[in-house]
Amino acid sequence: MKFDVIIIGGGLAGMTAATELQKSGLKCAVVAEGLSLHNTSRKEFAEAGGTLLAGDRVVSGKLSSGKLLSVRTEKLGDVELEAADFVLASGKYFSRGIVADMDKVYEPLFGLDVEYDADRSAWFDASFAAPQKFLEFGVKICNCHALKDGEEIINLFPAGEVLAGISCAQGDATDRIRSSAMDAVSAIRRK
Amino acid sequence: MQETNISTKNFEQCQKCSLCETVCPVMANNPKYGGPKRSGPDGERYRLKNGIFFDDSLKYCLNCKRCEVACPSGVKIADLIQQARIDFGHKAPKLRDVMLASTDQVGPLASAFAPLANFALGLSPVKGLMDLTIGVDKHRTLPKYSAETFVHWYKKNAEGSQNKFKKQISYYHGCYANYNYPQLGKDFVAVMNAFGIGVQLIEGERCCGVAKIANGMIPAATRDAKTNVDAFYRSVKEGRDIVTVSTTCTLTLLEEYPELLKVDNSLVKDHISLVEQFLYKGIASGELKPVWKEGWKARAAYHCPCHQERLGWGIFTTELLRMIPGMELVELESNCCGIAGTYGFKKENYKVSQKIGKPLFDNIAAVAPEFVACECETCKWQIEMSTGVSVKNPVSILAEALDLEKTAELNCR
Repeated sequence: MKFDVIIIGGGLAGMTAATELQKSGLKCAVVAEGLSLHNTSRKEFAEAGGTLLAGDRVVSGKLSSGKLLSVRTEKLGDVELEAADFVLASGKYFSRGIVADMDKVYEPLFGLDVEYDADRSAWFDASFAAPQKFLEFGVKICNCHALKDGEEIINLFPAGEVLAGISCAQGDATDRIRSSAMDAVSAIRRK
Repeated sequence: MQETNISTKNFEQCQKCSLCETVCPVMANNPKYGGPKRSGPDGERYRLKNGIFFDDSLKYCLNCKRCEVACPSGVKIADLIQQARIDFGHKAPKLRDVMLASTDQVGPLASAFAPLANFALGLSPVKGLMDLTIGVDKHRTLPKYSAETFVHWYKKNAEGSQNKFKKQISYYHGCYANYNYPQLGKDFVAVMNAFGIGVQLIEGERCCGVAKIANGMIPAATRDAKTNVDAFYRSVKEGRDIVTVSTTCTLTLLEEYPELLKVDNSLVKDHISLVEQFLYKGIASGELKPVWKEGWKARAAYHCPCHQERLGWGIFTTELLRMIPGMELVELESNCCGIAGTYGFKKENYKVSQKIGKPLFDNIAAVAPEFVACECETCKWQIEMSTGVSVKNPVSILAEALDLEKTAELNCR
């Protein structure tokens, strides 16, 4: 199945990017594991003609010389979803966009480069109310592109909480998430 | 899922976020129901301790599985509820429930006396009597039975011509196409044959058992499941994959057999596909070549049945229907129609069932399509009864929109 843009994740960042891109005439599909999206944004996206794969999740992707060619989902099996561009809006720990082990923090889908502290004892502050460093770990970007082993993946645009430096605990989290989604949208439109 | 998770049906992964409750159609309409979180993962913690914590209100769950689609943590909430009903709901099923659930015992009888049965079941005194005596709601239009079953028609009219095709599949028609609406089976054969595919019946096919599971008839459902899996295995060994037309039968064969009935289907699972998925893949890969009728036009609304939503395969149907040049397809908002198989036929559920369906009925009225496209037979009964708009299975729409002769010429060469 072919789309212009595939958006991985249907939260605030994913739905913002998807609706904007769909409205500018690109054929978009959102793969949203769980109902993480609000009914209103879901409706707006559907009315703009977007495709929503609700309750499904991306399980793997085909990378070739710095480009993501297609992804596979749990429910569509061997039917690949192809697109020119991809937005990675898979969120942080709760939605498993980022996973923390005892000794490392990683991005499970593509093995993207993640910014985190090598010293585990620095991940958190024992005081509950203090800012927690681990919440700001996330994937690195360069020119809005995701990085893998230091190399840019030129059609994969992370947005929202999956990014390093953005966390839901920040007072202006909503604005930051939206603006990171709009950055991805602008980068895709510029192409 | 984390590798160390060993809880059944993933229930330890529940984070108590309550998203499941926001999508539960029953909870929104029936105050007697505690909702998916309480009935599923929360209740499970108590039930594991002692079965006396089983709560009878679990019977209100209509097993639409919307909670599972909404769950961000992969908890099989509806399965937990069905499993608890199986393990602890030891009340013997009522006569009415046995009658509603025994589709392949009642079916042959009703078909044999179809004109009489249809006439009698349409009379208001009979419906009133059924309402009073066994509790089938009198407001409900009962499904019609066909005088000639699909299997009978197939043996008389189609069986002889199937072997000429190089590619062969086995058709799991289910109870609905066989006893209630053989036209669906006929359309299926016509479409498959046009694409150069021979259709064989599955020797020993039984009801998928979904209605028996819902009504607590577990030993009978398990027997049916084992018979079906054996029959599928024979078909697969002979080189024929299984193609189905009903979303609910398909979900039952694929997921409920191992999850709830503990019937192992691993050897046949990957060989079962829903007809829309089968045709989409075939046409998209270029293996099947459709020729569409010139000038065929329709404005349809697509209703994705709950179990199709759970399978995640609605996209195959919409992409397939959008391949038809004259098709203008509007996707309806995702809502449950409220009937949930035998659920909505029961007197105690009728009102709730209609309340659940209301947003969908209103949506259909606003879109005002020529017809609704939908893969599910019980959704069809509910939508036709409640809105007056006719509902067509995508296979029947294809049978109309395809130039069957030209398609056959192209594919059978």
